[in-house]
This record gives sequence, structure tokens and C-alpha cells, in this order.
Amino acid sequence: MEDKTYRWFLVPALILLVLCIYVPVLRGLVMAFQNYNMFDLTNIHFIGLENFSAVIRDVHISFGQILANTLVWVTASLLFQFVLGFILALAMKEPFRGRGIYSGFVFYAWALSGFAIGLTWAWLFNGQFGLINDLLVRIGLLESPIGFLSSKSLAMIAVLIPNIWYGVPFFGIMLLAALQSVPAELYEAATIDGAGRVRQLFSVTIPYVRPTIISTVLLRTMWIINFPDIIYAMTSGGPVNRTNILATQMINKIFKEYDYGQGAAIGVIIMVLLFVYAIFYLRVTGRQEEEF
Amino acid sequence: MRKHHIHPVRVILLILFFVSAIMPLYWILLTSFKGPKEIYTFPLQYVPRTFTLESYRKLFSFTSFGRYFINSLVLAFSASLGAMVVSVAAGFSLSRYNRKREKHGILLALYFTQTIPTFILMVPLFTFFSKIGLVDRLWSLGTVYIATVVAFSTIMSKSFFDRIPVSLEEAAKIDGCSLGQSLIRVILPVTLPGMAALFSFAFINIWNELFLAVMLLLSNENMTVPVALNSFISKAGISWDVMSAGIVMALLPTMVVFGVGQKYIVAGLTEGGVKG
Repeated sequence: MEDKTYRWFLVPALILLVLCIYVPVLRGLVMAFQNYNMFDLTNIHFIGLENFSAVIRDVHISFGQILANTLVWVTASLLFQFVLGFILALAMKEPFRGRGIYSGFVFYAWALSGFAIGLTWAWLFNGQFGLINDLLVRIGLLESPIGFLSSKSLAMIAVLIPNIWYGVPFFGIMLLAALQSVPAELYEAATIDGAGRVRQLFSVTIPYVRPTIISTVLLRTMWIINFPDIIYAMTSGGPVNRTNILATQMINKIFKEYDYGQGAAIGVIIMVLLFVYAIFYLRVTGRQEEEF
Repeated sequence: MRKHHIHPVRVILLILFFVSAIMPLYWILLTSFKGPKEIYTFPLQYVPRTFTLESYRKLFSFTSFGRYFINSLVLAFSASLGAMVVSVAAGFSLSRYNRKREKHGILLALYFTQTIPTFILMVPLFTFFSKIGLVDRLWSLGTVYIATVVAFSTIMSKSFFDRIPVSLEEAAKIDGCSLGQSLIRVILPVTLPGMAALFSFAFINIWNELFLAVMLLLSNENMTVPVALNSFISKAGISWDVMSAGIVMALLPTMVVFGVGQKYIVAGLTEGGVKG
């Protein structure tokens, strides 16, 4: 039995999604194959794959480097966010006094503006008056302050650290909830069988929370690859493209060069990469079709 | 049993996580209260010698930051409310939907939106809104914001309704409630925690959004807080006294929302977001 009225409740959401997401996305996809430049708006026409080849063969900004940067950005962020988030969740699993308040302090970063976080860390990494320089000088690791964000070798690390800092709470929240759902009997049984702590972690805990791990990692990958805010705030891709990822390059194309066609082409490249990744990832992890 | 005994390694880990989570926030707060002279001295002061609101005074008098703050607040508040209403309706509908294939298709369409980079929407939305003369309006940006959060919110709200037994509505029906009445009087009170999660989730996302706002808002008086911060970055560099005060103002509201709604947000994320 079902009231037909129920279905009408979906209409506002669907209208919004179609008008503000799906139609613009289709328009964006078309744009990727057009000459579409802010300075040349009277001359919009189809140019085949030229936007893609312009992006890929750019002599000033090596596309290979951008891809490599994106790979480093996504893998390193994901790896450290996950491992640290997991350690945090394990440390928080057993109750202790003040855990509720404690979780507020270690998880609040999840709610913050990525852009403001990027600016905050740009200040922390400041080459003259930054806290990190000061700390390193105090403990004797550095003799005098260095410009992290202008250093070709250090800039990527300097943008990765805030992104890891920003993403740990998400994994912490997700994995803590998953860990708390592991039935205590499983641990009791494992203890009776003589399994030590490490053994229990790998044969009880991790298998039990595996579905959460799989879905959070997938969600987070999509999120990180589409997240230019921190890099945009700290280096905007520099120095000499050392921190330029696909997403920041797209922002640069749109807001600095006003070349919407090429910007859209990068967007398409991101979507295709994500799509391939998702299929491959779900194959490898052997996850059955999403249960609705 | 060693139930109340906390392993020292655990204590050290918990402290390390705490310190590194707090440090950047402490530092930006400290900077915002230091005043320009103390900000630009090396070695740095870890505990301020002077406490001044000078940077905030500059922020609010040299720029129209009060206006930007109100813009952001009104925009985030009303768009979140809108998103909540729309996604509660849609989530309820989906949860009670009994045509399997249609339901599947709609859910898939909702999940698919999560993979779309927002940047690919920016230019088409801009040209669309300029054509119909609605560019540079806060409420048109607000409508877009509702759309950007509504997919995730609907998935979340569906999972809340999934846990409410249909029998509850049927009981209400027998008592003579119409569908609308039963939704408002019977179902909604049970889902209030879920609604709090939906609202906080939307508010946080909308308050923090930068690029769509940069694209769709043109005039100075319409700027939101992130757009204003973005405009403070000049070629000459950043003056960190005003900037740090601005950053604090940008971080504060979502921290408050997270502080108040943490329990619900965590439940919403873990129950709704991932498990589907």
C-alpha cells in the first residue's frame, strides 16, 4: 500500500538537481569541446578535442607534472588521513572521562572552511614569522627561517600537512563509529583463543570494519581530488607548478585565464579519472552492488 | 579487570592528537589578538604580551566585514533551512517508495552527483543566471547551494526515515490524520535529531563554500565571508593582522554549529552518508 502523494514530495529536490546540477553539468561537458573564452564570447564554436590537447600539450605547465602532483596529493593525503584517523579512533574506542568533550576538540576541524584552513596554515608556514619556522629554529633543526611555500622541494609537503590535518577527523568519526559496533564477544572469543592485541587488530577489528574502510576511502578520494581550497589558499599551485593539481589548474584556467573551454576539459578529465578509479576500486575490493 | 586503567601509550597518543588539533586554531586566535607590531617580530611570542582588539576593529572599519558576515549568515541559514525542508520531503518519499526500479534509479542519480566537480558547474550556472538577469543575487546563489547539498542530505534523511516504522504512520492514519498531518505531528518529532544533522551539515557546507560564490557574486556589497577573505589577498601580500581576525570570524560559526550539533552530525554522517 502506498500513497501516491508520497511521490510528489520528491519533486522539489528533483527540480533543483536537474536545474542546478544536471543541466549545468551537461552544458559543462559540451563546453569542453568548444572554444569558450571570456574575452572571445562572440566566437563560441565547436573545436573538437582542441581544449584537451591544449591542456595536455601545454608547454608552460607540464600536464605530466600536474598528474603526478595530483597522484601524490591524493595518495599521501588519503594514506595519512586514514592511518592517523584509524589510530585516533582506536585510541578513543574505550571510554574515558571527558571523551565527549575530547571528541569535540579533535573532530571540530571537519566543520571548518578549507579555504580558511589553507590561509591559517599559510601563516603557520610563513617564511619569516611562521610558527613552524620558529619551532624548528628553537629546537635547533633550522638555523634560520626558510620559505616553505616558495621552496620547490618543500611546498608539496607544506600543503599536504594541512590537508591531512583537515581530513583526520572524518576518518576518525567514521572509524570510531565502526569500531564501536564490533561486538565485544568477538574479542572475548579471540582472547580465549589466545590472540594477542596485534593479532586481534588484524583478525577481528579490521575485517569487521572493512566495509566502512572501503566506502570511506572511496568517498574521500572523490572528495580530495575535487578539493583545491587548501592549495589555492597557500600556493595557488606554485612555486613553478610544484603543488599544481588538476583541481587547482582548473581553477586557474577559469579565474585567471578565463578560458572556460579548457577549464571544462580539465573537469571532464577529473570525472573520467574518478569514474575509472571507482570501477577499478570496487572491482578490487570486491564490493557487491550498493544495497539500498 | 582493568577497565579504568588507561594504557600510557594511549594517553600519549590522545594528548598528541589533542595538541595538533588545537595548535593551528590557538595560533590564529593568538595572532588575531596580538596587534601588528607583535605579529611581525621574530622570535615569536607564544603567550601574548599585549591583548588588543585592534585587528578586529580594523577588519570591521576598513572593510564592510559586518555586512559580509551578515550576508553569509543569512545565506547559510536560509539555504540550510530550505535544503532541510526539501531533503526531508524527498528522503521521506524515497524511504516509503515502493517501486523498486524507480527508487533505485533516483538513488543512483543522487549518488552520482557526489562525483561531479562543482567547478564544472560554475561557468554554465554563471551564464545561465546572467541570461535571466539573476546573477549577483544572494538568493540565486542560495538556490544553487540548496541544490549542491540536497543530494547528500536526501540520502541522509532517507536513512533516518528508514528506521522509523511505517506502522507509526498507519496508527496516525487510523486516528484520522491526513498524510501531511501525520508527517508533521507524528513522524517529524521522532526525526528531530536527524533534522538537526541535516541542518548543521548543510550550514557547514554552505558557510564554507568559496568558488561558486566568487563566480556568481559580483558586487562588493554582496560578498560572503570566504569571498571577502579571498579579496584580502593582494599582490602585495597579506596583512596578517586583519587577515587573522577575518579567518577567526570565518571559522567561528561552523565551530559553534559543530559544537552544538556534534552528536547529530556524527550520527548523520555515520548512519546516513556512507552506508546509504
